Amino acid sequence: MTVDSEDFTEIGKPLPRREDRRLLTGQGRFVDDIAIPGALHAVFVRSPHGHARIREIDTVEALELDGVVGVFTGKDLNAWTNPLRLAPPIEGLLPTKMTTLPEGKVRFHGDPVACVLAVDPYTAEDAAERVAVTYDTLEAVTDAAAALAPDAPRVDDDLESNLVSRQSFSAGAPAARRREAHAVVEAEFHQHRQTHAPMETRGCVAVWDEGRKHLTMHIGTQIPHPLRGQLAGRLGLSESQVTVVSPDIGGGFGQKIALYREELVIAALTRHLKRSVRWREDRLENLMAASHARENTCRTRASVDRSGRILGLEFEITEDFGAYCFYPANYMSRVVAMILTGPYRIRDYAYEVKVALTNKCGSGPMRAPMAITSWVMDGTIDAIARQLGLDPVEVRRVNMLSPADFPHTMPTGEVLEDISPAETFEAAVKAVDVSAIRRRQGATCDDGRLIGLGFCTVVESTTYGSHFYKSAGIAGSGHEAAWVRIEPSGAVNASVGLMGSGQGYETPLAQAVAEGLGVGTDDVRVHMGHTDIAPYGMGSRGSRGATAGGGTLYLCARKAQERVLTIAAAVLGLNSADTASLRLRDRRVQRRIDDAWQDTELTLRDVARTAYLDPTALPEGVPPGLDVAMTYDPPPMTYSNATHACIVAIETATGRVVIERYLVAEDCGTVLNPVVVRGQQQGAIAMGLSGALFEEVVYDASGQNMSATFADYLLATACELPNFEILHMNTPSRQTPAGIKGMAEGGVMGAIGAVTNAVNDALAPLGVVANRQPLSPQYIRGLIRSAENTKNPRRHGS
Amino acid sequence: MDSRHDIELSVNGDTHRISVQARRLLSDALREDCGLTGTHVGCEHGVCGACTVLIDGRPARACLTYAMQMEGHEITTIEGLGGTDGYSPLQQAMQDEHGLQCGFCTPGILVTFEAYLRDNPDPTEDEIRDVLSGNLCRCTGYENIVAAVKKAAAGMRGEPE
Amino acid sequence: MKPVAFDYQRPASVEDAVALLQAHGRSAKLLSGGQSLGPMLNMRLVRPEVVIDLNDLLELDYVREAADVIEIGALTRHHRLATAPEILRALPLLAYAAATIGHFAIRQRGTIGGSLVHADPAAQLPLVAVTLAAEIVLRSAAGTRSIPAADFLQNVMTVDLNEDEMVVAIRFPKPSAAKAGWGMRLFSRRRGDFAIVSAAVWLRRNPDGRLADMRLGLGGVAPVPFRLHDLEDPDDEGAPGESWASDLAGQAAQRVEPEDAPGLPAVYRRELACNLLRGALTDALSLAGERHG
Repeated sequence: MTVDSEDFTEIGKPLPRREDRRLLTGQGRFVDDIAIPGALHAVFVRSPHGHARIREIDTVEALELDGVVGVFTGKDLNAWTNPLRLAPPIEGLLPTKMTTLPEGKVRFHGDPVACVLAVDPYTAEDAAERVAVTYDTLEAVTDAAAALAPDAPRVDDDLESNLVSRQSFSAGAPAARRREAHAVVEAEFHQHRQTHAPMETRGCVAVWDEGRKHLTMHIGTQIPHPLRGQLAGRLGLSESQVTVVSPDIGGGFGQKIALYREELVIAALTRHLKRSVRWREDRLENLMAASHARENTCRTRASVDRSGRILGLEFEITEDFGAYCFYPANYMSRVVAMILTGPYRIRDYAYEVKVALTNKCGSGPMRAPMAITSWVMDGTIDAIARQLGLDPVEVRRVNMLSPADFPHTMPTGEVLEDISPAETFEAAVKAVDVSAIRRRQGATCDDGRLIGLGFCTVVESTTYGSHFYKSAGIAGSGHEAAWVRIEPSGAVNASVGLMGSGQGYETPLAQAVAEGLGVGTDDVRVHMGHTDIAPYGMGSRGSRGATAGGGTLYLCARKAQERVLTIAAAVLGLNSADTASLRLRDRRVQRRIDDAWQDTELTLRDVARTAYLDPTALPEGVPPGLDVAMTYDPPPMTYSNATHACIVAIETATGRVVIERYLVAEDCGTVLNPVVVRGQQQGAIAMGLSGALFEEVVYDASGQNMSATFADYLLATACELPNFEILHMNTPSRQTPAGIKGMAEGGVMGAIGAVTNAVNDALAPLGVVANRQPLSPQYIRGLIRSAENTKNPRRHGS
Repeated sequence: MDSRHDIELSVNGDTHRISVQARRLLSDALREDCGLTGTHVGCEHGVCGACTVLIDGRPARACLTYAMQMEGHEITTIEGLGGTDGYSPLQQAMQDEHGLQCGFCTPGILVTFEAYLRDNPDPTEDEIRDVLSGNLCRCTGYENIVAAVKKAAAGMRGEPE
Repeated sequence: MKPVAFDYQRPASVEDAVALLQAHGRSAKLLSGGQSLGPMLNMRLVRPEVVIDLNDLLELDYVREAADVIEIGALTRHHRLATAPEILRALPLLAYAAATIGHFAIRQRGTIGGSLVHADPAAQLPLVAVTLAAEIVLRSAAGTRSIPAADFLQNVMTVDLNEDEMVVAIRFPKPSAAKAGWGMRLFSRRRGDFAIVSAAVWLRRNPDGRLADMRLGLGGVAPVPFRLHDLEDPDDEGAPGESWASDLAGQAAQRVEPEDAPGLPAVYRRELACNLLRGALTDALSLAGERHG
């Protein structure tokens, strides 16, 4: 299904986004903007403890308050809803069960224990303060190592230990390679807990139609249909009794995928009371209790020859998953292990993946759930270079897959093709002028700064097809669904199961439809986020939007064009075999005569009128109407690739890391809309840098969340982030419609690796290594201080 | 203490007669009582900047202001920006430079810079970034917003692009 | 994130305001810019029965220059402090400090009186008030009193303010501008955050280059900002030499005893104090040298 991208007329155009006008003029429609008369407001009562038994919940005082409609606890909700059971047939994964609200004990600071409904949010909050919950506190476990100790308190009483998931794998003979090696290089990588922090917090409005016995859920969700299925299942309703409507979403980044307990409570109470209910999470709740992400510790052991060539690699990852499993616990870390080797030629490889439950907020996928992958791999390369005294650029070259290596089967069995890591790497090396930086580093002038250069080459798993899910042991499907409908007037409507959360789907997806159909992008309107309108699709996660969503729409639109041309051939009095000599361009049917396309004077509107209003004129076998639907399952995995380069200056006196320059060479195949793609590249790098340098969810030893305000959970501002230089490269996929590969998460992967590698390049002369994030000034200064004290133990630290 | 007060809010030149508790946040009053939902609520502790509006022409956090305080003052929200043809120069530049993605933080940014550029028609990139640091954006990485402000400022000074 | 219910009062004059304070006492809270109080109200960390709104008391929004003092009304906003010509000319350290507070929108609302009463250990204005020996003017129904900033600031977020009193003005002695220099350095994780540590310096040189007068202030290393009085006496050994700033900053760092906090060890704050003070001293000296009076 190869397509020459140079033939595209709509795909690849830098069109401005069509959602911008409403968002720029205050006419966006986010969940909170939807007025539902008479809706009650919900506020949740949350655990102040990290781990405690609930002895008693006294709601009397709360109920006495004017305007309070009810206070509901686990006892109520668990009778009205079904629990979430997660028991996919995955080896090494313990089955888990979660009730809608806890009854026996709370497992983290912020765990919801009761829901107050009142006529306005102020009164609801007054009442929530009056709900008296008596707890018997329990010892909390707040890190993975403690959680995996033999006598650790158990987070989930139903499980025999906190080790909720464990898988291992080996290909070749890494232990034998270790014995043969010139050197064995060990490295450690600690990634800290982070959270998505979309600017719009979670929230929903539920409306129950008692006459129709139907629930309408207005909620900003990335996956409307799967969420509908979850809601129906947990409420004991049929999927035909639930409609999920997703309005404009103020960012998701993976946080708006799961059906959270709070949302289910709202839906259940709406049905129970037969009154509309709305909930808007506040920022403290969002930072404390929505979903966290990323916290894991990795170790690598690389067996290498004299040139730094990796003969064998062993990898361990231990993830701190928090208190509850909203996803199968192997979901994220195992993908890291499966794709770790990325752009490098490694045959002998083994991994062990462990996931621990702790008394913290549950974890979920956050933009690049496999974020640590490239830092671990390229950080290992840098560790090899440091230990062997080699040039890190050369060690990369020695190990990197070359164009002749593709298709390349990774040791885990995943196949890489149509990617260009060596090309992006060399482009980045050339652009940064490595020797100039080495000269700067070698210069003797001491201005109190250390300069460092870091590279990170990313092979980004973008579109997860059903085959990958199956081989990774993740329950789910990777297919997507679309319809394209040409209305009797010739207007083009289309729909797909994706739901954007700010990326700007409306324009690029319209471009994919326009390209496939042969109309202008302005002629197409793509409808998303309504389960009664959109076809059942898997929604937005990973970087599947362009390939799965755009690809399905493109294929569907091509099918629609074929239908149009079949009818056109009949109207023009041609044989059906002559359809091949017709095409639709800019809403007009053209015919190829002597290698030139000529206008037939037949328009899409004419064909549509025939299809709908004059069906007896249609050729035999062509149904009336112009309505085409299809589903499409992408290949097991598509990959994009990039090389990030970062130059930092560290102020030795303070430990502050300043980014002097940041560039990325990226190859994500066919681009639907370069404006949107560039925005995704910038946004992903920004999120990676913000996470690696500033953000950190902090718990104290008793399980208190210490970072639940925006003054404590530090998102980078405009003053901490640089401009990004982006070099575009283009190797279309030969396996996907239009050569699309997808992107939008690799920026995170590359950023956290490149900035940390740059910091370690700068610190190398001191003989210290930063192996944990965030790269806070106090942490970096601590490393520098330890080096100073080693060099001159009597000297004062300053 | 729970009693309600009848007040008049002057927003974008229109007068809204509303009845509020003394503790009602201006952000809630604008959104719920005046129906002006373009002002977004992102943190309710003054950090994110999404709810920024103009009070007598000066930017301020609507979440740190009580509706009662605004009697006798003039409020401008995102709905009050832009001329008769829809876009202000900054709104146009934001679209041209792809300065927004989810758009949730955007109204606060537009409102802040409408005021800032009036007093500072020719800011440097550092000055723009300093002002922008009061508005958190999770989507864009800020680069395109900075470019949009620069472009709008140049346009408002009458310079060719 | 909604405040508890409260009554709202908007006094039309300072007299009315202090009368309301006298009537309501501890149950009342004065609201000026609201940029620190607002979050605390929204999080219900502060639960007043009455909020007395000072924002329309324009009589407290002023900058008045006299021969030897600049008096600033308590309701003067940070943006005005940062841009008022009198302050830029006579108290450039104060103008600079005000320009670094929070963010542009925050500075349009936040007030000098509010910042001093809030008394965050790392805030800019308390540090500058202490360094420049400002006097805080307090008013109650019983009358007016004035107190040095260093005495007004008692502990973390604790000030010498009776429940019937309000800050009405801050008086900064006008230092001689001849051969004077100033420096202020702040270290924070992000732009606009409260500094982890801050340092402020004001000094004046004799015509021969020797120091005539000096004030050193540090913030973020103790419950309240403070002056390093015992290091302020200019030595008689002549004009400051090359290592002057480093030596002085090193001595200052030895004197501070910051507390260990989670993630922020005392040693780090001490290092920052040393580094920031050195920078502020260098800046101040260079300004004083350039400006021949």
